[in-house]
Amino acid sequence: MTVFLAFMLGGLGTYLSRASFVGILGASAIPKTIERNLRYVAPSVFAAIVVSNLAMQPPDGSAGQTSRIIAALIAGAVVAKTRSVPIMLTAGMVVLWLADWLAH
Amino acid sequence: MLQGVKHVAPLLVPVIPFGLALGVSIATSPTVGSASGMWSSLMVFAGSAQLVAVHMLDEGAGIWLVALTIWIINARHLMYSAALAPKVAGAPRWLRLVSSHVMTDQVFAVADRLSSDRGSRYCVSFVFGGGLFSLALWNVLTAGGLILGDAIPTSWSFDFAIVLLFGGLMVLSITNRAGVVAAVVGGAAALVTAGLPNGSGLLVAALIGVGAAAGFDAIASEQQAMVGGPGGSERPSKHP
Repeated sequence: MTVFLAFMLGGLGTYLSRASFVGILGASAIPKTIERNLRYVAPSVFAAIVVSNLAMQPPDGSAGQTSRIIAALIAGAVVAKTRSVPIMLTAGMVVLWLADWLAH
Repeated sequence: MLQGVKHVAPLLVPVIPFGLALGVSIATSPTVGSASGMWSSLMVFAGSAQLVAVHMLDEGAGIWLVALTIWIINARHLMYSAALAPKVAGAPRWLRLVSSHVMTDQVFAVADRLSSDRGSRYCVSFVFGGGLFSLALWNVLTAGGLILGDAIPTSWSFDFAIVLLFGGLMVLSITNRAGVVAAVVGGAAALVTAGLPNGSGLLVAALIGVGAAAGFDAIASEQQAMVGGPGGSERPSKHP
């Protein structure tokens, strides 16, 4: 029951975040000066997610940190060039496996 | 709605190992049972927060602390919501309220790049379709991990796929030089804020990145105004 409640409360708060401006307050609640800069949300949040993941210790028995950083950099270059997520994913995983194989 | 499914679906491939891993962590958790685990995938529907919550519950954390941590980790959706709000402003409110629940990182990433000429109704249906599909898949994957257990060997490193995905989404979301500033500063700040409590580091780092980009943008447009050159350092982005 405790676990159930924890997820219910967590879910309600998450919903409030998601619905905040889209459904509850509306776009008019956003000041014009801020609205202009909302296009920087995606690059900033996604970069923070990537870097904090790369900084973490990888799971035991999986590819190491150096291989991951190399693969991430090459995948970044690939997606910048091709603009394709599937190609980027394939390239990134192949580079990761190669780098990990070379590291051993 | 189908447009949303079509554009979000390719981004869900790297979510497969992530969802299965969540199912496995629920299956092996002494405190979180299968029913509560599935409930979290319906209700919270955000992988990293769910994983952290399962871990905290296993370590005996109280429900308020767990809920608070989920809120903080998921507070990035406030920024997503603000960014999408202008695009969906003209759509019926009930549709915006319903769609909000399924607005995930991936759905936001694609919807954020929709042109505003598409109209509010199109944008909100796009979010709803892509999100509903994601919710269904996420629950199937959670159940799959619960039932199958450790089906994918750790040595294949498929946990990395989701990191690659966010990296790709980051690159695709950059449309001008200030966007590069947002990514570089947000990423660098994440290294410094990693130790902040309850997973708040990500949120703080992201805000610092957006702030830096806003500052860069303001200075750049001021200089442009002084030079009087033709406006905008932006290059047109591809719209899905």
